[in-house]
Amino acid sequence: MANNNDNFDHVIVKKPSVGQRMFKYRYFYLMFIPVAIVLLIFYYWPMLGIRYAFSTFKLKQITLRTGPDYSIGLGNFTRLLSSDPFHAAFKNTIVLSFVNLVLAMVCSVAIALLINEIQNAWGKKIVQTVLYLPHFLSWVVAASIFMLILSAGTDATGADTSNTGFINAILLQLGILDKPVDFLTESKAWPTVWYIMNRWKETGWGTIIYLAALSSISPDLYEAAEIDGAGRMKQTWYITIPSIMNTILVVFILNLAKIMNVFESVFVFYNSLVYDVSDVIQTYTYRVGIVGNDYGYSTAIGLFKSVVSLILVSSSDIISKKIRGYGIV
Amino acid sequence: MKKKFNLINPQYAPRSWFVLFNTLFFVFLMAAMIIPIFKIFCDSMVNETVYGLKLIPKGFDPNTGKEVWFNTIAYKRIVTDPGLYKPFLISIYTTLMTTFLGLLISTLGAYVLIQKDMPGVKLFSYMLLFTMIFNGGLIPTFLVMKNIGLLDSLWAVMLPMSMNVYNLVLMRSFFEGIPVSLFEAAEIDGCTPMGIFVKIVLPLSKAALASIGLFFAVAAWSEYFHYVIYIKSSSKYNFQYKLRDLFQDKQESDQGTKINVNTLKSAAVIVSIVPFMFIYPFCQKYFMTGVTMGAVKE
Amino acid sequence: MKKNVFKRFAAMSLAVVMVTGLAGCGNGNEADFTLEPGDPDDLPDEISLMADTIITEENGLQDFCDEYERQTGIKLSIEKPDHAKYYEKVTLSFASEEPADIIEMGSTYYPELANSGALWDMTEAWNNTTSNCKNIIDEDYVEALKINGVLYGFPMAAGNGTITYVRDDWMKEAGLSNPKNYDEFLTMLRAFKARGQGTIPLTSSGFLNNGETPYDIYLREFYQDAIPDFYKDEETGKYVDGFAQPEMKEAIQRLRDAYQEGLIDAEIVTNKTSTCRDKLGSGLVGAFNYWAGMWSLKLQRSMNEGQLKAIPPIEETGGYTERVPTAFAMSIYAPNKGAIFEHFLMFSHDGGAGQMLFTHGVEDKHYVMNPDGSATALPYYSDPDNTVEKSIYAPELTITEWNDPIPLDPMVKDSLEEFRKNRVFAKVPIVRDAIAENLADLNVVKDVVMANAVTGKTSVDEAIEYYNTKGSYYANAILEDLNSEENLKAEEEALAAATGGSASDDEAAEE
Repeated sequence: MANNNDNFDHVIVKKPSVGQRMFKYRYFYLMFIPVAIVLLIFYYWPMLGIRYAFSTFKLKQITLRTGPDYSIGLGNFTRLLSSDPFHAAFKNTIVLSFVNLVLAMVCSVAIALLINEIQNAWGKKIVQTVLYLPHFLSWVVAASIFMLILSAGTDATGADTSNTGFINAILLQLGILDKPVDFLTESKAWPTVWYIMNRWKETGWGTIIYLAALSSISPDLYEAAEIDGAGRMKQTWYITIPSIMNTILVVFILNLAKIMNVFESVFVFYNSLVYDVSDVIQTYTYRVGIVGNDYGYSTAIGLFKSVVSLILVSSSDIISKKIRGYGIV
Repeated sequence: MKKKFNLINPQYAPRSWFVLFNTLFFVFLMAAMIIPIFKIFCDSMVNETVYGLKLIPKGFDPNTGKEVWFNTIAYKRIVTDPGLYKPFLISIYTTLMTTFLGLLISTLGAYVLIQKDMPGVKLFSYMLLFTMIFNGGLIPTFLVMKNIGLLDSLWAVMLPMSMNVYNLVLMRSFFEGIPVSLFEAAEIDGCTPMGIFVKIVLPLSKAALASIGLFFAVAAWSEYFHYVIYIKSSSKYNFQYKLRDLFQDKQESDQGTKINVNTLKSAAVIVSIVPFMFIYPFCQKYFMTGVTMGAVKE
Repeated sequence: MKKNVFKRFAAMSLAVVMVTGLAGCGNGNEADFTLEPGDPDDLPDEISLMADTIITEENGLQDFCDEYERQTGIKLSIEKPDHAKYYEKVTLSFASEEPADIIEMGSTYYPELANSGALWDMTEAWNNTTSNCKNIIDEDYVEALKINGVLYGFPMAAGNGTITYVRDDWMKEAGLSNPKNYDEFLTMLRAFKARGQGTIPLTSSGFLNNGETPYDIYLREFYQDAIPDFYKDEETGKYVDGFAQPEMKEAIQRLRDAYQEGLIDAEIVTNKTSTCRDKLGSGLVGAFNYWAGMWSLKLQRSMNEGQLKAIPPIEETGGYTERVPTAFAMSIYAPNKGAIFEHFLMFSHDGGAGQMLFTHGVEDKHYVMNPDGSATALPYYSDPDNTVEKSIYAPELTITEWNDPIPLDPMVKDSLEEFRKNRVFAKVPIVRDAIAENLADLNVVKDVVMANAVTGKTSVDEAIEYYNTKGSYYANAILEDLNSEENLKAEEEALAAATGGSASDDEAAEE
């Protein structure tokens, strides 16, 4: 909006009151009603259940219908915070999820930009379709594939196993490794291959939203830049990226809200030799839940995760506002 | 402006080299994506247990006693299974319905959220985001469904899925890209908010509708967990669930004399991703540059 | 900034107000139920059942219910939830206050539910029944389900157990007969290894059966007398942590030696059970410990080549372990419990029409009678390539002696016979709060210890050290509770009441 320097001091404009504005927007309130109804029924009503986090709610209380026992107060949380495995799980959740998120953004944006550069219409269609196919496989299937190609290909005596250890074979040939590495059982290597598996599966799907955003950039801008003599790189840097920055930020912050929930991709891929780097909160909860069945405790874990997510989202919202001037709200 | 592909000529060279590398890069990337899927495809085409990276769809068929190429016995079994017809229709119904409802709710919600001056708009925003972060848990959600009588109904699956805050916020960020001048112009012309919504906002958001619609459709089609928890009657299961139930997850199931169980599982995996190979090209045309612009000259 | 915080706070309070303003879901109703069995002849109108491992709906579950109604006059409604989430559904059914009358329970969930007080005590009903079932049943299976002498569920079928299968053709080629002891067992594995070409002498998925008791079920030959769990020392009468005993260290050493020699699958830590089966099927594996019975046939069918054979247990293992049977338990909310016990549970094991219905299904739909008195299974409705295996109870795992008109496949029969020659019944796992809180974490430590020691990442001593430092917190918490006055006394009293109160025969398995 153009900044008006004309002197209108003598004109007194009355700012509409809240009531007047509400009347102006009355149709919008109506439009929001279906949204609100669904929200309240399916999301807020069940949220009452969060109170179980402050109770003991074991199978006994469920089956005998005595209801949750609130006498423990913050007991679940003290138990949680004093549990060693939980600390490790918490650390791993944050590290694995966050790095994965950053990688996801970088890869998806980069690939989206590159796809955008494909001239051939057919080529573009084929590339996009092929790239997003892995998303539709289940994590179980994806993990079984990766476990197959990542194995060391040798047993303890050094003899070759039947599993050729595809990746190991390639790396040995290229001279990058001098002896096979069992990526799945090495704590140092596991996170890396986990990230790679995640990228393989989700990058294609992740490009969709950016491609949609890219398509809303007016070609006039590019034409103008072209005339001004800007090369493709400059155009990308000064036009493309700023135009989709809004989308990038929104996607980033929204996904930040979900990083505590990582589960299936770890569950199908981890093993007892790499618990120290791979165990996340949800896998921890899963194991504790099999034996024990204390619904109060698992709700407490859920509440803990939610609070952490809230902190993450709020912080990134504030940072975003400081840097870009706007955040997610 | 049509560019010539010429690796030597300095005017066209940088661009041409880039195109070359870009092409090679994508060929490599596509191979990386497709080879594992091709392996599964090959596994589904041989009637024996495969362990290892076998990439040739030729195997020994114990039924005929010969080496056979492209043994489609597993596919025939899956495609002709009568237990999959109804679930397939159910999937189509729930996918269409969820996508429609989902787009309806997310567009309306997003449209409301971009009204910066509206009292309470921030409240609505927080209300929505809050649900992305805080969650009641399995038992309370189940009890709510029970209390409103939606247990064993398809609505228990479709309604919660249509209220997707992630998609709503994405939709909002697309709407924010629509120039304010368009709204003002329409208001001056005497258009009602609903009118603006239908005549201006929606037509200009084709890319958003296509991509977010795709998100809803894929989620609805692939949905599995909600069916496990809420649905009892086998007449209401969807395709994905039934496919898994019949062919994938059963370990104790009938292990055929005719069809190797691993072949069946691999075939089921392939069958479940085939629909998606055809959906995307369909949405493609909405992602073309320039479709949405040009309505108002700045 | 301030406005932001205020707005956020207002949003949350508004949400809370709205939410409490809505009808909250009630919890803590006074449960109405009676523990009295009632009159066994007062038939209920309807029985509801929730089960997991039964015939599916498209294969005639409704036919089964109709036939049951025809024979007993009671309507039967069955819910068969998705296998992967079966126990979540059971919990949800209790949470929503509509549990089924009869619920199928596996050995992990059975003691938990029993401990929660949700299951009806049917010890008296069993002691007093005069049905034919009592005459033909193998009491061991009923005893196996007793918790401190109390029966909370009736066995559906034998719990079955795992047995070691080996490649018969490879054995013949190497000129070997069934190994009788550990040395011969290793010799056999070495012979397999000598075949080269990536042969895996023995494969398994992890070391501790994915945290399900009995933990040592798949690697019995290596564990031998070590027990990686808590058990009661007969002499002292107190509970001990088997994992901390010297026998366990020896077991770990054995596993390590075998692994380092290449006799155990190098990928044992990352293997899933399906991976093991795939490896076996593609002809790579020499020995594989897996379920006896029907699985012998299934494994054989999945193999591209070669012949599988079940071998008897080697002497050091003291026999194969028979798992706690899967049980049909009754919820305390079921009406007419005595009637349900007689007309459903006893009926299903009556050795006659009831047993036939519950094992093979409905005549002319799931099987046909042949003129000579035998019967043949019919193909499945939904899978004409295969014949019906069972309706509810697996025929090869029957717990009663009856004349089954449909003969068993010889391979299935052989593997079961081999299995039963020297089997040891497992006990129902103990469920107590201290265990529930600590066992999961303790099992992780055990997992880590074994994986590291066997694969050679640490030495055995280092691993044991690790267990003693990290695991002792959990193990001690559990031991303290198990050995507490209160627990030991309660166990004694319960056992005394059970054995003193009922005339149990000599066969009753005590310790």
